[in-house]
Amino acid sequence: MTIVTPGLASVIFAAGAVAGAFGALLGIGGGVFLVPFLTLAVGFPITSAAAISLTTVIATSSSVSAGRTGQHLINLRLGMALEVATAAGSLLGGVTAQILAPSTLERLFGIVSAAVAVIMLSRLQRRNVILDSSVDPGPLGGRYYEEESGTMVVYRVKHLPIGLLASFVAGNVSSLVGIGGGVIKVPALTAWCGVPLRAAAATSAFMIGVTATAGAVIYYGHGQLNVLAAGAAVLGVMAGSSLGIPLSTRTPVRSLKLLMALVLFAVSGLMLVRAAR
Amino acid sequence: VTDADVRQVAQLERVLGRVLRTGVVGSAVAFAVGLLLAFANIEVSFSAFLLRAGVLVLMATPVLRVVVSMVNYLVIRDWTFVALTTIVLLELGASVAAALLFNERL
Repeated sequence: MTIVTPGLASVIFAAGAVAGAFGALLGIGGGVFLVPFLTLAVGFPITSAAAISLTTVIATSSSVSAGRTGQHLINLRLGMALEVATAAGSLLGGVTAQILAPSTLERLFGIVSAAVAVIMLSRLQRRNVILDSSVDPGPLGGRYYEEESGTMVVYRVKHLPIGLLASFVAGNVSSLVGIGGGVIKVPALTAWCGVPLRAAAATSAFMIGVTATAGAVIYYGHGQLNVLAAGAAVLGVMAGSSLGIPLSTRTPVRSLKLLMALVLFAVSGLMLVRAAR
Repeated sequence: VTDADVRQVAQLERVLGRVLRTGVVGSAVAFAVGLLLAFANIEVSFSAFLLRAGVLVLMATPVLRVVVSMVNYLVIRDWTFVALTTIVLLELGASVAAALLFNERL
């Protein structure tokens, strides 16, 4: 059992702040950075790292979403519909994480995230946005004002089953490895469902609170959550994400996508290395 | 999409924002005070209580957010979304049940 001293708590706080800032920028919750840090650098068992990371994912989701309300970036209806799938995946993942050795799923995750990064890069120029603002967004679509182009962005949601499937997988992977799952949902929503990146990121960040809670509760029940480390990580993530939110509305979509692809490749490498151990 | 729909969505967004902000601030305060007391080595049992409370408030916030949304859809008689949010709550309930199975002391 790792003893959390004030010094270690400070290190975890700082790591949480970095993870939180990137999580807010990319809508992926920061867990992709925190889990490898807590396992490889601090030496927590993977289940403890996942549990701590999931609590920070919840905090990121709540604080990022609270800061975004009023901008209409979060697609509430789409989010609530997809939550049915993420929560189911997360519940299943949380239970199987207690039973299975996760190395096979880590390998699978490494492959999936690398594939998603390639898709992201190949679609760098595509916006998937209906620029005609008189278009009917339909029951699940949305509209929001985009600062950088100074226009009203209106979109319809296409291929909902793909969105649901991606959400289920995202929820499942989220619980198993302790990440937010936006890393899977955001590219799927932008690539296939016609949701603009910014709305996809905001909606994903909104959803992952529910996803991570469904998983975190199970780890907590099993006594795998170190509350001292979780407290330090959560406070760090809150500080970091409050820095990331103002930046996220100013960063151009293209560089956000590039940054996200790089993150995905890094996560892929880390997952494959860990699975091969 | 009518103006009333737009206003209704904006109001739900505001309420959810308030729920999320309250949960975030509540758990942050519990964590901060809990950590300080733990490392100052005073009121150890109270600091353990605060840290646990921080975790529970954090986890309860998204659940409360779904409950508030469900009530909202009930009020505007949007049965599809009443059903969807209810399913999400049942799934969260199943997670809590699984957690209790792994530990009866929770």
